[in-house]
Amino acid sequence: MDAKVDMPVTEKAKLSVRNLNFYYGNFHALKSINLDIPEKKVTAFIGPSGCGKSTLLRTLNRMFELYPEQRAEGQILLDGSDILTSREDVSLIRAKIGMVFQKPTPFPMSIYDNIAFGVRLFETLPRVEMDERVEWALKKAALWNEVKDKLNQSGSGLSGGQQQRLCIARGIAIKPEVLLLDEPCSALDPISTGKIEELIHELKSDYTVAIVTHNMQQAARCSDYTAYMYLGDLIEFGPTAELFMKPKRKDTEDYITGRFG
Amino acid sequence: MSDKHLSTQFDAELSGISTRVLEMGGLVESQVAQAVSALTQFSGDLASAVLQTEERVNSMEVEIDRDLSSIIARRQPTARDLRLLIAISKTIANLERVGDEAARIARTVQRLINSGVSSRLRLPMSDLAFEADLAVAQLRKALDAFARLDVERALEVLKQDDAIDKEFDGLLRKLITYMMEDPRTISSSIDLVFVAKAIERVGDHAKNLAEVIIYVVKGTDVRHNTPEAVETMVR
Amino acid sequence: MSTSTMSALDAKRLAMHAKRKRVNQIALSLSLAAMAFGVFWLLWILFETVRLGVGGLSLQTLTEMTPPPQADTGGLANAIFGSIVMVGLATLLGTPIGVLAGVYLAEYGQKSWLGGTVRFINDILLSAPSIVVGLFIYSVVVARMKSFSGFAGILALALIVIPVVIRTTENMLSLIPNALREAAYALGTPKWKVILSVTLKSARAGVLTGILLALARISGETAPLLFTALSNQFWTSNLGEPMASLPVTIFKFAMSPYENWQKLAWAGVFIITIGVLLLNILARLLFKNKH
Repeated sequence: MDAKVDMPVTEKAKLSVRNLNFYYGNFHALKSINLDIPEKKVTAFIGPSGCGKSTLLRTLNRMFELYPEQRAEGQILLDGSDILTSREDVSLIRAKIGMVFQKPTPFPMSIYDNIAFGVRLFETLPRVEMDERVEWALKKAALWNEVKDKLNQSGSGLSGGQQQRLCIARGIAIKPEVLLLDEPCSALDPISTGKIEELIHELKSDYTVAIVTHNMQQAARCSDYTAYMYLGDLIEFGPTAELFMKPKRKDTEDYITGRFG
Repeated sequence: MSDKHLSTQFDAELSGISTRVLEMGGLVESQVAQAVSALTQFSGDLASAVLQTEERVNSMEVEIDRDLSSIIARRQPTARDLRLLIAISKTIANLERVGDEAARIARTVQRLINSGVSSRLRLPMSDLAFEADLAVAQLRKALDAFARLDVERALEVLKQDDAIDKEFDGLLRKLITYMMEDPRTISSSIDLVFVAKAIERVGDHAKNLAEVIIYVVKGTDVRHNTPEAVETMVR
Repeated sequence: MSTSTMSALDAKRLAMHAKRKRVNQIALSLSLAAMAFGVFWLLWILFETVRLGVGGLSLQTLTEMTPPPQADTGGLANAIFGSIVMVGLATLLGTPIGVLAGVYLAEYGQKSWLGGTVRFINDILLSAPSIVVGLFIYSVVVARMKSFSGFAGILALALIVIPVVIRTTENMLSLIPNALREAAYALGTPKWKVILSVTLKSARAGVLTGILLALARISGETAPLLFTALSNQFWTSNLGEPMASLPVTIFKFAMSPYENWQKLAWAGVFIITIGVLLLNILARLLFKNKH
C-alpha cells in the first residue's frame, strides 16, 4: 500500500524515509514507508504489536545489519544523504544516530567508564575534559546528583530507572544528532517513567528524538508529531494534538479510542 | 456510538451518560412547553409544576457533570470520544439555562396572576404561543440531532434560528404599540417582553446545541459564524 | 446447623491434596535416600584418602625425590614439580586457543558451516577418552622424537584442555543477552571492541571458571601422561626428557607391593585431592562474586 501521507511542511526534516521496504527473510515487514522526521522535535511511533514501529526505528541506525536474514530497500536520508548506501563506516553513522533500548543495559564497568566508553571510541580527551563530558552527560540525563559520589561503582548497582538514565547519558555523551528511543520506559515504574519523559522534553532542544511506545498516553504527552502504523504500513502522520483530537483516518481514530478489534 | 470500544464498560458509560442527557433534554423541553401553557392559560398550578421540575433539572446537571469528570479522568478519552464528552458538558449547561428560562416564564405568570391582571386585556398571547412553538420545535430538533449525531438536522436548526429572532422583533413592535395605545398595559406588556426574550433565548440555546453536535461529528468548531458559512465549513 | 458444612468441591480438593502430599513425601524420601547413598560413598572416599594420605605426608614428601623400593626416605618432590610444570604449561598453551575458538563460535560462527563443523568436532574431542589423546601424541611426537618427554605430556594435556575451554567459553558468551551487544553497537562500537570490552568482559567470570575446571581436570589425568611423559625417578627440569608426575607416580607406586611406595602413593592421592578441591572452591567463589 502506498501511504500518501501529509507531511508537516513548515518543519525541516532531519531524517527522510523514502520508499522503505523491509524484510525478515521472506516476510515483508515494512511496506513502502515515506516519512519525514522533523528536526529538533519529538516524533512518536504508535501502533499495535507487530505493526513495524520498532523495525522502522532499527533501520534508522542500521541495527538490522547485525542479523543476516534482515534487509532493507529504499532510502533513509540524514540531512539529505542516504545512510543505507553510504560508504561511510556504519560506526560513524551510529555515532550520529544513537539508540536507547527497552531494557536498560549498563556495560560491565564503572558508571564513569560506561559514559566514557562511547566517547573514547571517537575522541581522545584528556582526563579533565573527559570528567567534564561525563558530568555533562549525567547532568543532562538528570542522573548526576544521584551518582556523583559513586562514579567508580559498577553500573549494575543502580535501580532500573537509574540504569535507563545511565544508558541515555551514555548515548548523549557522544553528542549524536538524533536519538532513537525504543520503548524506553516500558520496564520502569511510573515515577522513573515520569522523570524520563521530563528528560525527553529537555532533550529535544538539542537533539531530534524519535520514540517508539506502546503507551498511547505517553506518545500524547511527550511528542510533537505522531505516526500511527499498522501491519507494516504508515497509516497517518501529523502533529500530535491534531492526531489525538481529530485524526484524519478512521483507522487511526479506532486505534486511539480503543475501538480496535 | 456506531462502533464498540474494546472496553464494554466504557461503551456502557458513554451510552448511559448520553441517555441521561437526552432525559434531561426531554424534561427541559416539556418544562418550556408547560411554562408557555401556564402563560396562555393563566394557570398558577402549571406555573408551580414548572418550578418544581426546575429542582430536578438542576440536580441532573450536577450529577451528569460529576460523572463526566469521572469518565474523563479514568478513560483518558481522545478524538471523537473526547469531543463527545466536551459536547455533553456544554449541552447540559445549555439545557440548564433553558430550564432557567422556563422558570423565569413561570415566575412571570405567577406575578401576573398575583397582581390581578385581567385576562380581558388584549395581549398578544397567541403570538407568544407561536414564538414558543417555534422555540420548542427547535429544541426538540436539536435534541433529536444529538441523539443521532445528525449533522444535517443540526444544520437545519442553525438555519431556522433567524425565524425566532424575527418573531421576537415582531412581538416587540406589537407590544410597544399596545403600550402606546393603552398605558394601563405597560406593566404587563413589559413582563411579556421579558417572556418573549426568554423564549428567544431558548431558541439560542437550541442553536448552541446544534453547533456542539457539529463539533462532535466533524471536529470543527463552527461557533460565531453565519449559517451559510457553517454550511461551507461542514461540506 | 452443622459447623462442618463442606461443599463437594472442598471435599474433593482436600482428598486430592492429601494424595499429593503423600506422593510428595514418598518422592522426597527417595531423593534423600539416593543423596545419602551418594554422599556416603563420597565421604568414605574422602575419609580413606585423608586417613591413609595424611600419614604419609611430611616435609620429606615435599622435598625429596621418589625413592627406590623399600627405601627409608623419599618424597614426591619431582612428581609434584613435574605435575605443576606440565599442567601449568598445558593450560597456558590450551587456554588462548580455546578462548579464541570459543569467541569465534559464539560471535562469528553461530550459523556458518565452519562454526557448525568446529562445534561438532569439538563435541567429539570433548568426549574422547584421554588415553586416545595420549596414544595420538605418542605416535605423532614420541615415536618421531624417539623419546618420551615432558613436552609431549604438555601437548597431550593441552589437547584435553582445549575442547573444555572452547565449550565453556562458547556457552558463557552465548548467555550474554544480545541486548547488551546491541547497546554497544548502537554507540558505534566496532565488532572486535564489542567482543573484547563488553561481551567477553561480561562473561569473564564464567570463562575463567571454565579454565579453572579444565585445569582441575587435567591435574588428575593419568592415561595421556603414561604414553607421553612417562615418568622419571629423578629430578628433571628439561622438558625434552621424561618427566615425573603425580598421577603416573601414584599409579606406579600404588600397584607395587612395596609399603613405602604405597604410603607415598596415598600421600600423592591426598595432595591431588586437596589441590583439585581448592581449585573448585576458587572457581565457585569467582563465579559467585561476579553474580
